[in-house]
Amino acid sequence: MDVIQALTDAITTKNVLSSVESCRPYECDGLSAYREKPLAVALPDNVEQVKAVLRICKQYKVPVITRGSGTGLAGGTLPLKDGVVLGLSKLSEIIKIDPLQRIAVVQPGVRNIAVSQAVEKYGLYYAPDPSSQIACSIGGNVAENSGGVHCLKYGLTVHNVLSIKVLNMDGEESNFDEKDDGIDLLALMNGSEGLLGVIVEIKLKLLPKPEAAQLVMAAFHSVSDCADAVTSVLEQGIIPAGLEMMDKFSLMAAEEFAKVGYPTEAEALLLCEVDGSHAQVQTDAKRVADILSQKGAYKITVSQSEKERIALWQGRKNAFPAVGRFSPDYYCMDGTIPRNKLAFVLEEIDRLSGIYGLKVANVFHAGDGNLHPLILYDANKEGELQLTEKFGTEILNLCVDVGGTITGEHGVGVEKLNSMCHQYNTPELEIFHGIKAVFDDTGLLNPGKAVPTLHRCAEVGQMHVHNNQLPHPHLERF
Amino acid sequence: MATLSTPNHAVEQFAEQVKQANLDKQTIQITGNQSKVPLRNEDLNGDPVQELNISNYSGIIEYEPAELVVTVKAGTPLTELQAALAERNQMLAFEPPDYGNSTIGGTYAVGLTGPSKPFRGILRDFVLGTKMIDGQGRQLGFGGKMIKNVAGYDVSRMLVGSKGSMALITEMSLKVIPLAIEVTYCIEMPENEAILLMNKMAGTALPMTGGAYYQGRFYYRVAGEHSLQTNQVGVRECDNSIWLTLNPFRPELEAGEKLWRVDVESTNPAIENTIAVGMGGTRRWVASPHKPNHPYVTLWQTRFAPRHNDTPCVQKIKLGLRDVFDPNHIFKQL
Ligand SMILES: Cc1cc2nc3c(=O)[nH]c(=O)nc-3n(C[C@H](O)[C@H](O)[C@@H](O)COP(=O)(O)OP(=O)(O)OC[C@H]3O[C@@H](n4cnc5c(N)ncnc54)[C@H](O)[C@@H]3O)c2cc1C
Ligand SMILES: Cc1cc2nc3c(=O)[nH]c(=O)nc-3n(C[C@H](O)[C@H](O)[C@H](O)COP(=O)(O)OP(=O)(O)OC[C@H]3O[C@@H](n4cnc5c(N)ncnc54)[C@H](O)[C@@H]3O)c2cc1C
Repeated sequence: MDVIQALTDAITTKNVLSSVESCRPYECDGLSAYREKPLAVALPDNVEQVKAVLRICKQYKVPVITRGSGTGLAGGTLPLKDGVVLGLSKLSEIIKIDPLQRIAVVQPGVRNIAVSQAVEKYGLYYAPDPSSQIACSIGGNVAENSGGVHCLKYGLTVHNVLSIKVLNMDGEESNFDEKDDGIDLLALMNGSEGLLGVIVEIKLKLLPKPEAAQLVMAAFHSVSDCADAVTSVLEQGIIPAGLEMMDKFSLMAAEEFAKVGYPTEAEALLLCEVDGSHAQVQTDAKRVADILSQKGAYKITVSQSEKERIALWQGRKNAFPAVGRFSPDYYCMDGTIPRNKLAFVLEEIDRLSGIYGLKVANVFHAGDGNLHPLILYDANKEGELQLTEKFGTEILNLCVDVGGTITGEHGVGVEKLNSMCHQYNTPELEIFHGIKAVFDDTGLLNPGKAVPTLHRCAEVGQMHVHNNQLPHPHLERF
Repeated sequence: MATLSTPNHAVEQFAEQVKQANLDKQTIQITGNQSKVPLRNEDLNGDPVQELNISNYSGIIEYEPAELVVTVKAGTPLTELQAALAERNQMLAFEPPDYGNSTIGGTYAVGLTGPSKPFRGILRDFVLGTKMIDGQGRQLGFGGKMIKNVAGYDVSRMLVGSKGSMALITEMSLKVIPLAIEVTYCIEMPENEAILLMNKMAGTALPMTGGAYYQGRFYYRVAGEHSLQTNQVGVRECDNSIWLTLNPFRPELEAGEKLWRVDVESTNPAIENTIAVGMGGTRRWVASPHKPNHPYVTLWQTRFAPRHNDTPCVQKIKLGLRDVFDPNHIFKQL
């Protein structure tokens, strides 16, 4: 008997796909430049079936690539041709809502937005709000430790998960709880990209909806003035609920797309949202507006209604597709840097953009230093994807060199394996591989993702010291 | 993190001591200021234990208020760190209990959080990165100074609670928040009513940062601008110092009684022999000769009493991870 037959016997024919046609939607995630047809796709109906799939794959030594909604942007769910994709979209039940305790217990396939929708009637919501929230799953959010525009104030996924149930390759279930004694395995599982276990149940923290929110939009003549202004807001003790910045290209594209009245002559646009009690919001919005104008904003708009607030966000929320209209393809980067290095990093990106001959639009979670440069390219042009990737890698290395990181929220997946070699040394990578082996001694859970082999890094290292020169030699090393 | 950091003499010496211990097959006990764990001179087998004291490795390495991040040496006393932050109108959101001279490293190693736990989060939520020395004496760095960073497994958060058994933490970067301006209110009522009320209130837009029940009173703390509270029957403003009474909580016990820390769901009804309810109802302090019958109970005494109630599967993971960080078992187990 082969593995497909065994899976079919265990979880029924309708839950196993193996033809080229039926597997097509599972060939890639949001990083569609990478594709592979898996051996099969298993779509279990319940946790017992998930356990069965894992046991069978272990028996047949077949790799398992867990998949939520497939919106990941780093190729985390890229199939292996001899591997099984374990799709959890049918595990989409909200098991329990306890409004008094302010928690929800959900299955991993529940979509992010569905949680907030289900608890809205209690005046509660689930805070992490990735832009993909209408599609992405809570299981995927935990596996990526996803963030959203509100995470400066309300935290990432890891800050909003109270416990999880996880299966290993034997189908054995463990519970990791915030209340556990000793080391924090719950925190470890957040952002582990499907390499350490299959998450089958999640207990989420819910927050009361703030009484009020107001958006301050400010236009600047220069990116560095805008960055300085952000610094001042934070320095003066205000933690905005959202703090987003766009460069000229993105804001123009967004305006053309959404027509919300962004000042297209500006070099940089800042959207700063404050929330809380009515009184607090009034005070904070005024303080923010004052600080921003002192710091060189030449035009400030404060939303006067809920309708206006939502409208002003529309441009930013559609920035990716808006920029996408200018090019057949775009490549989204995810480096994070200390905010005080922003002006320098943007200048460098601009310089590299000239060298590579590829345009870049920048949107930026300004509060937490998370950059999303969008590189525009055309996959149909010979070699342009490779050139784009090379450019992207240079941007990420630059982020590491100024004391930042290669990924703030999208994860490493297959995409940033080489950059991991730049960020970590051999002993740290050995620890990562050691951790993986403790959770998964078979090595069958999402192999080849998230952590590069030492061998690979040795090769990348040889590339890096090309001509005996370190990149960005003028920078202090951190 | 990769790249060449400047050699650090003190850290080099710690690493040497650990390497030497590997050669000598010597057990090491890491100590901060021993505010929690008194040094015992022998390990579980009765073999002598060498002390590695990090309390002299103290001070702030980097602090930029506008980046909302402070980087600090592990031996820094909490009081010193908190004073430096307060000077710039900032604070540690997790309000760690200070047992007198607790270090930030020791606090990290035991994972202690104060009254704002359900409202602002726990200690590990604010850990952005750590530098450490593993059981082989290797100097490692995980995470960094970024609020968002998902490159590699989150080792810096995982080791919160490791109690010196896996690695010596030498430095850490913590997210800080603006100093909160807070007011405390109290009202007399029975315990179960208070538990219900603190849960109900935490589900409203009132910016709560503390909820507790102590000696017949329900206490709640509110940050920033908020609606008038004292117009409600029985509610009055009271002193913020109640939160220091409860954190660290050091009650006088009757002879034969023990202090138990019980972590429960916030809505759990009153537990027998409870002498204080904290953290929005999620923490119960019980004074009793007998262990309360709950899954998350810790005996709170001068020495750690680990719970050891993990399932075999989780136990295997923990032992396995210990071997990854400290293959020769140099660091003492509690
Ligand atoms: C009376 C009393 C009872 C207490 N009971 C308990 C209890 O039962 N359980 C509990 O958890 N806490 C308890 N505490 C609190 C706690 O143990 C300490 O207060 C801790 O927060 C103090 O830090 P320290 O710097 O003094 O660390 P220490 O007491 O010196 O060390 C605490 C732990 O952290 C480890 N450690 C210290 N520094 C580092 C470092 N840099 N890297 C790695 N590991 C390190 C040590 O090995 C040790 O395991 C109690 C405190 C008191 C005063
Ligand atoms: C338009 C767009 C906007 C986006 N905006 C944001 C944003 O603002 N912030 C942000 O952080 N991300 C964003 N993303 C990225 C992506 O949506 C997130 O990473 C999301 O959390 C992925 O969820 P998913 O269910 O689609 O996971 P998938 O893509 O299916 O999987 C992602 C990873 O998680 C693993 N995984 C999935 N489910 C489980 C499970 N149950 N157990 C174990 N491992 C599992 C997979 O193996 C894979 O490694 C965006 C993506 C798109 C396309």
